[in-house]
Amino acid sequence: MSPNIDNPAYLLTLLTGGLTNGVLYALVALAIVLVYKTTSHINLAQGEMATLGAFCVFELTRHGVNVWLAIAIALVLSFFFGAGLERGLIRPLERRGVFPVILATLALFLIINAGVAIIWGTQPVAPPRPFPSGIDDKIDLIGGAPPFFITHVSLGVLAVLVVLLLGLWLLLEKTKLGLGYRAVAANREAAEVMGIPVGRMYMFGWGIAAALGTLAAALVAETAGALDFNSMGVILIFGLAAATLGGIDSVPGAAVGGLALGLVMAVVPGLFTVIEGDLSLVIALLVVLVVLLVRPQGLFGTKTLERV
Amino acid sequence: MAEPLLQLSGVHAAYGDVEVLRGVDLEVGEGEVVVLLGANGAGKTTTLRAICGMVGTRGSVRLGGTELTGKPTEWVVRRGISHVPQGRGVFGVLSVEENLRVGAWNRTDAKGIEADIERWYTVFPRLAERRTQLAGGMSGGEQQMLAVARGLMARPRLLLLDEPSLGLAQIITRELFAQLEAINREESVAMLIVEQNAELALSFAHRGYVLESGSIVLSGSADAVRGNEDMRRAYLGY
Repeated sequence: MSPNIDNPAYLLTLLTGGLTNGVLYALVALAIVLVYKTTSHINLAQGEMATLGAFCVFELTRHGVNVWLAIAIALVLSFFFGAGLERGLIRPLERRGVFPVILATLALFLIINAGVAIIWGTQPVAPPRPFPSGIDDKIDLIGGAPPFFITHVSLGVLAVLVVLLLGLWLLLEKTKLGLGYRAVAANREAAEVMGIPVGRMYMFGWGIAAALGTLAAALVAETAGALDFNSMGVILIFGLAAATLGGIDSVPGAAVGGLALGLVMAVVPGLFTVIEGDLSLVIALLVVLVVLLVRPQGLFGTKTLERV
Repeated sequence: MAEPLLQLSGVHAAYGDVEVLRGVDLEVGEGEVVVLLGANGAGKTTTLRAICGMVGTRGSVRLGGTELTGKPTEWVVRRGISHVPQGRGVFGVLSVEENLRVGAWNRTDAKGIEADIERWYTVFPRLAERRTQLAGGMSGGEQQMLAVARGLMARPRLLLLDEPSLGLAQIITRELFAQLEAINREESVAMLIVEQNAELALSFAHRGYVLESGSIVLSGSADAVRGNEDMRRAYLGY
């Protein structure tokens, strides 16, 4: 047991740190889910595409573009990149089976990873910071030792997730486009018979996912204070774990799965310092494993079961 | 005579190496109700799928003079064909009302869509009671009603119905067919119906076709089909 376990400030610090990381996992998990829901593919290059997007933001700000504008531009570019990939690469391969698609996303992973390293080098760069990140940019809540405070970065990251989830909910639940997307996700053939342009819905899912990934990578760079060609490597693994935990076809599941994973990874090693070393990854995957043993479809996922 | 609304000539269709349709010739006129009968595996469902471009076909499928063969399903559907698939095919994770809205995907008249939703709620009160519920949680009969209502939301020129009575209680089936008859009478929506309940379907249809091993073996007015001796023995059971 950790000696600080009775200290509320210590506990709260663990929680906010975990939540902040959880948002990043949730964003990547959302991207994975949005691709999976309609096309039933896992895009292994999701994280690397996101890194590319974050370097886009970096490059734009280096040329004097305002950081928020740069993010907006990168999001739009990422959307079209993702949609274009679906149309130009994934869909032609899809007719040949699942494995060609998996291999293609793996190839994309390697190509983009290497490409980013060639263009921007392998050394970390100082990323643009959308939120104030100085040493004093925090809100003190509990004084004393240790104190409890929330940084503006943490607040900003959490706010982004809240706004994003709201926007995504409105888009999917309240627009015709969202209805078409969900119909394709629910039953591809029936959606086709309704006259829904199924292919465009695939592109929409991939596009939104790519944009979400870029946002995630920009925030990863923000919280880490550094950006390099491998920034999203581990985050992708946590994102996949979060998506599996929440249910691979569930949008709210991805959000909850990401936050839950972030919390578990912060709190458990923070409280139980029995074993030396960073066990957060092991713990996270153990939690996922246990949940999946009990609920194979994840927390919010759909059981493949239908009334006949 | 003017060209019929729907005309199939020499339509072949296959799943892989298995040829299911072997030269089907079939017509549906404007505002006409046509029933397609036949044993299981005769190719009835495949005929409907061939019309919608959901299975690879050879031959010719024309709607009002426009060739449909080889066109993507969404394009065919936009020409005014609505397909109510067998086994309902409703969107289980969408609500009843969302299912109806998906049915109206190609329409842009917002007011007309709202009016039609209310109309089908009046026709099928069970759907109105469950408008916010997920379609997947409803009984088979309710899902079938929803599938038919959803198909009609498109305001089609031609409605393809695949086994609309499957799994429905007799009283609901009769009610459903009464509604279909009214829709056909009032709005002259043409219908091509695949139906196990041949007696019921023939009482409502203008004409009938009998499909056997992928070919049409008998066609004629509903009365003529009903009166055919072989037909009676084979499909009506008396």
